[in-house]
Amino acid sequence: MQRPLWSGFLCSSEKFAERPALLADNRHLTYRELRDGAMRIASTIQSLQTPGSTPLTAVFAYRSPTAFAGVLGSLLAGNGYVPLNRTFPMERTQIMLQRSECSTIVVDEGSLPQLGQLLEAAQTSLAVLIPHLVDVKNYRKQWPRHKFLGASDLKLASDWREPKFENDSIAYLLFTSGSTGIPKGVAVAQRNVTAFLDYMVDRYEITENDRLSQMFDMTFDLSVFDMFVAWERGACVCCPSQKTLIKPGKFINEAGLTIWFSVPSTAVFMKQLGMLKAGQYPSLRYSLFCGEPLPISSAVAWLEAAPNSIVENLYGPTELTIACTLYRWDPVSSAAESELGIVPIGYAYPDMDVLVVDENLREVVPGQEGELLMKGSQMSLGYWKDPPKTAAAFMVPPGKIEIYYRTGDRVRFPVGNKPLTHLGRVDSQVKIFGHRVELGEVEAKVRDACKMDGVLVVGWPKTDSGFGGVEVFIEGRESGVEEIRKMVSADLPDYMVPRRFHFMERLPRNANNKYDRKAMQKLLEEGL
Amino acid sequence: MTAVTPDDVHAFLRTYVAKTLQEQAREVPADLPDDCDLLLNGYVDSLGLLELMTALQDHFGREIDFGELDAEQMTIVGPLKNFVASELAKS
Repeated sequence: MQRPLWSGFLCSSEKFAERPALLADNRHLTYRELRDGAMRIASTIQSLQTPGSTPLTAVFAYRSPTAFAGVLGSLLAGNGYVPLNRTFPMERTQIMLQRSECSTIVVDEGSLPQLGQLLEAAQTSLAVLIPHLVDVKNYRKQWPRHKFLGASDLKLASDWREPKFENDSIAYLLFTSGSTGIPKGVAVAQRNVTAFLDYMVDRYEITENDRLSQMFDMTFDLSVFDMFVAWERGACVCCPSQKTLIKPGKFINEAGLTIWFSVPSTAVFMKQLGMLKAGQYPSLRYSLFCGEPLPISSAVAWLEAAPNSIVENLYGPTELTIACTLYRWDPVSSAAESELGIVPIGYAYPDMDVLVVDENLREVVPGQEGELLMKGSQMSLGYWKDPPKTAAAFMVPPGKIEIYYRTGDRVRFPVGNKPLTHLGRVDSQVKIFGHRVELGEVEAKVRDACKMDGVLVVGWPKTDSGFGGVEVFIEGRESGVEEIRKMVSADLPDYMVPRRFHFMERLPRNANNKYDRKAMQKLLEEGL
Repeated sequence: MTAVTPDDVHAFLRTYVAKTLQEQAREVPADLPDDCDLLLNGYVDSLGLLELMTALQDHFGREIDFGELDAEQMTIVGPLKNFVASELAKS
């Protein structure tokens, strides 16, 4: 039975009205308070909406109560939300606003200083909701083209009317970096998210006593897990204040978290900063990681620090709604199931199907590697207003009759009941003098040799047929290059041994905090 | 080895912020005044702060116990540089 994404929150707000729904800016908001704020935003959007309006509302807010009320308010108004992030480059945010064609936008206090710049780029007249501001006169004077609504202009919660819910009603529009550098908007339907939630809340047995971390910016879809898994069952989503972000360990204990969810990089840094001491985080019952490969060393260190928790590695592209495979780390048997020093991505969610194909999109035999394709109830609607790109990525492979999404990830198709292992991106495979080289394999050897987790290998120099070799970038202090080279050479053929080792204080990351291979390539092109 | 001064740390922070912003194709500020809050100005994000802390350790070649620094002060250039310099001065 399909249901709107907001329905779980509304149920919880009836059952658990006085329990905390949110910790943000160092204070708790009860379900009643959050519901009231969200309803007022929703009924205001409803009063402004015309039949032809794009069913999307932008939320220009960051880790504030308004950010969360804005997300819920958009959904309760029958719209999807488009998160905009003031810590992103303004130009990128402007493109997102333009492409989404939103006609309403919710803004919080901290984002107000950048609102002017954003509005300059708006191509149409916007309705701007600023729920915390009483007096919006100055804004009206300065930007007569747009309609401003402050605290006293918002409609009452009781004015809310249940919106029409359709099969393809959008939950959110998230922009991922496209290969051309122009962000692509992934439109995810509410039914995609509820399919995901149904599995997650049962698997993790979430109750109103749980407290979930909220480490992800809303522009990263993993934040959807934090919010809606919590609200589905009356739990509390805990957003570290900007200041406690620096001490994630202190945050876990002070907020009394029971569920941790972050990118593996956070664990890597915490380990380096001595924040993963044995038994330090006893309150956690689940520790979940997603968004990038999880090194075995991080899983091991984390489990030691959070001994009462179960560690799981989740995998999934935005196009398949947050995560669609997972693997439970077992200290005894998992290392043997891992490849390249990386924890497996495991098994597909019950409602999702896996297909591993070769270059001709034909299914490979068990034990072989290939590109991962998936289909199922979490397959999103595709790229917003971009049918050609949608058709290219969401396609029917030869010999099949249903549409699959091409993830661009290389995996090994498991034999028997073994887990899927992630081997890198399809584009992380390069040809060196005709040899096919998986850059992830070289990275794994270097990681092993130098005992550091931040390692990125790129093909270099470019040749007509591919690359002449590889070079490696290591995050950390330079030490023992010859030693590392010797160890790597012992395991790899000559053409795979990095020609040069570069040490950097930090490796470049893209907007989603993943290592940016293209940026490294550029450094080399510029003559590093 | 000569002692690390707050100015040395300041110079490192300037380079670090400039590099981070350049990578994101963002404008680099002309200066990084002592009262500048790295987080509130969007120069680093949450993960970026953890990265910055490990980068400081790597750059100066020593473990630094950031637990001693008040979280409210940690992201502000002046207190941060003084703290790092005084931690490094400890034997």
